Amino acid sequence: MAIGTLPATGAPARLPWRTRVRETLDRERVLGPLFITPALILILLLVAYPFCVALYFSVSNAFIGRPSHFIGLTNFIRLWDSDAFRQTFQNAFVFTGISIAFKLVLGISLALLLNQQLWFKRLIRGAVLLPWVIPTALSTLGWWWMFNSLYSVVNWTGIALGLMDPPGPNWLGQRYYAMTAVITVNIWRGLPFFAITILAGLVAIPKELYEAAQADGAGPWSRFWYVTLPMLKPVLAVVVLFSTIFTFSDFNIVYVLTHGGPINTTHLFATYSRMIGLESGRIGEGAAISLYLFPLLMFVVWAQLRFVRKQAY
Amino acid sequence: MTRLSRRQFVIGGTTGLAAILATRTAPAVGQTREISYLCWNNFAPNSDKKLAEIGQRFTKDTGIKLKIDHISHMGPQQAKYASEVQTQAGHDLVEMRMHFPWLYEPQLVDVSDVVGELEKRHGKAISSSYEGAHVHGVWRAVPQYHGMFVATYREDLFKKASLKVPDTWEDLYIVGKELKKMGNPVGIPISQNYDSISTAGPVLWSYGGMEVDRDGKTVRINSPATVQTIEWYKKMFRDCMEPEVLSWSDASNNESIQQGKAGWIHNPVSAYIIAKQRKLVTADGINHHRSLGGPAGRFETDTPRHIGIWKFSKNVDASKEWIRYLLGKRETYDEYIMSGDAFNLPVYAKLQDHPVLRTDPKYAALKGEGVEYHTYGWPAPPSDKVQLITNAYILPNMIAKAVTGTPTKDAIVWAETEMKKIMAG
Repeated sequence: MAIGTLPATGAPARLPWRTRVRETLDRERVLGPLFITPALILILLLVAYPFCVALYFSVSNAFIGRPSHFIGLTNFIRLWDSDAFRQTFQNAFVFTGISIAFKLVLGISLALLLNQQLWFKRLIRGAVLLPWVIPTALSTLGWWWMFNSLYSVVNWTGIALGLMDPPGPNWLGQRYYAMTAVITVNIWRGLPFFAITILAGLVAIPKELYEAAQADGAGPWSRFWYVTLPMLKPVLAVVVLFSTIFTFSDFNIVYVLTHGGPINTTHLFATYSRMIGLESGRIGEGAAISLYLFPLLMFVVWAQLRFVRKQAY
Repeated sequence: MTRLSRRQFVIGGTTGLAAILATRTAPAVGQTREISYLCWNNFAPNSDKKLAEIGQRFTKDTGIKLKIDHISHMGPQQAKYASEVQTQAGHDLVEMRMHFPWLYEPQLVDVSDVVGELEKRHGKAISSSYEGAHVHGVWRAVPQYHGMFVATYREDLFKKASLKVPDTWEDLYIVGKELKKMGNPVGIPISQNYDSISTAGPVLWSYGGMEVDRDGKTVRINSPATVQTIEWYKKMFRDCMEPEVLSWSDASNNESIQQGKAGWIHNPVSAYIIAKQRKLVTADGINHHRSLGGPAGRFETDTPRHIGIWKFSKNVDASKEWIRYLLGKRETYDEYIMSGDAFNLPVYAKLQDHPVLRTDPKYAALKGEGVEYHTYGWPAPPSDKVQLITNAYILPNMIAKAVTGTPTKDAIVWAETEMKKIMAG
């Protein structure tokens, strides 16, 4: 049998380059990474790189503009000897714990209120967001003026209404009042975040559940306790997680209101880290302060995300 | 004119750009000398305007472009220095306060040649400038001007109540009691700010005390002089002041006297200058008197300012030229000093009896006869550890603890422990 050969047809015709590009981009394996790459580059440059540098600083004796050497965990151990650092550590937990508790309770209450049929609902919802939208340093300056010993409108009003004895509380100069002041401002600023996110969760709860509960004779409290709250759990977990991280790392409020005083009783990790790292030049120690809670926060993130996943599936 | 084809333009442009990037040198035509200078927002705003004006003349006379940037007081300034040093990029020249040249010593150009020339013309730099900018035998920044703390009081109230102008810290306690009764308390901050240290230092020194010894190593805060200092503060806090001083910022004492509340504060003349400029009703009543003394002498905090040049600057010569232009010629330097309305005073010996002190009779106290001026942490050299003691506000916090109930001895032991930890670190 003679084996014939097929007539030569030549090389396949080249497609126009535009068509080739379009076909390449149509492939998910190409398009996906292409979309992610810019964000990844940004994260690597603006988050990962500074974080790695900070990690290195924290285990070195880095001083501004001078050669540094690796010193292991010395910074972390030595910090614990400092009275100011121990005070800062305590402040951070008091500040975060109380703020989160208030923001959670008030946030749920506000979200329930905003979920009702109200007049000017959109306007009210927009207004609630204002403290979250205004730059923190600016709004805190307003609070500073309200708490300022010379101009305090809070004291002036309290005295005028007969609620306070002149000259009124020394808001920023007495340890408990000062902590109350910074917590108050943090709650004021963080509340919209809680309220609006919880409101989004509330809106997503199917109405049928409430109707069924009502048909079974459940009152408002039972409906809240057995329907609303369980359905909100994943949202609450995420909100608390984010807020815990933001509140632990707060800087502006304390820096503007009290500068960490009186006698370091309102310093947080960020403000104390700035004082040691930037104002005194000890970058190594400063980095160690800001990273002190990193392992704990990592654990909180892991635990809460695990909880959210369990709730979701 | 020869027309360039698109290809020629692309090839030529790319080659040129590659050459500039490779050699990191601009072509000759683009090499205009330009320097940048970072300074603070002066408490005497006219001084900033004058600086800009002199800068324009400098550009006209030398062909060197000068870009002046301003940054607010203290905190942001320190963060900016730190970021410029860490990134090795930023301004060529920086205005530095007090002891900053010690912190940034390895990053600052040796400017001993410029200081030498200035000292030949204007006389030796004053002691506080020397303490702040002469680091380990080398001038790391050029002394520019200084502004010292001074006793600022409501002369009208003193006259009305027939109070005697105090001469010592003990005298201040006597008049302070009366001032508080009149509703015009003494305003000395005892909080985490620099003004608190600026007063606590001179009080401690005038009782013979110190934080760290001359050797820069031995902590000396636990002494009878510190006990006397704290006891003085305790009675002042109780009888002459109000608890608000525990919350004050650097600006609070100024505002208190300007708004008509405080009867006596310890501050540079800026409190008066601003009251005068804003035409406040209190301006006429404010005056200054000689700094207060104690058993060991009469001391005062000085805040010298200097101009440093970063080592990473590619324009060191041009930067030195600007410093010479601003401070070297007597007429220009005088013009600059006069614009500061006695907030900025000359730092060279031959210029101490400056005409600016005669522009207002209320500046007479600034002559500082018989007053010894120093920067924070004196008599210890301002090393990084001594500065950490300052920046951690240990001195005002020790006093704040004592006036709010901690026994004097415990407050001192606390301060001593904290200072020793820093010195050992």
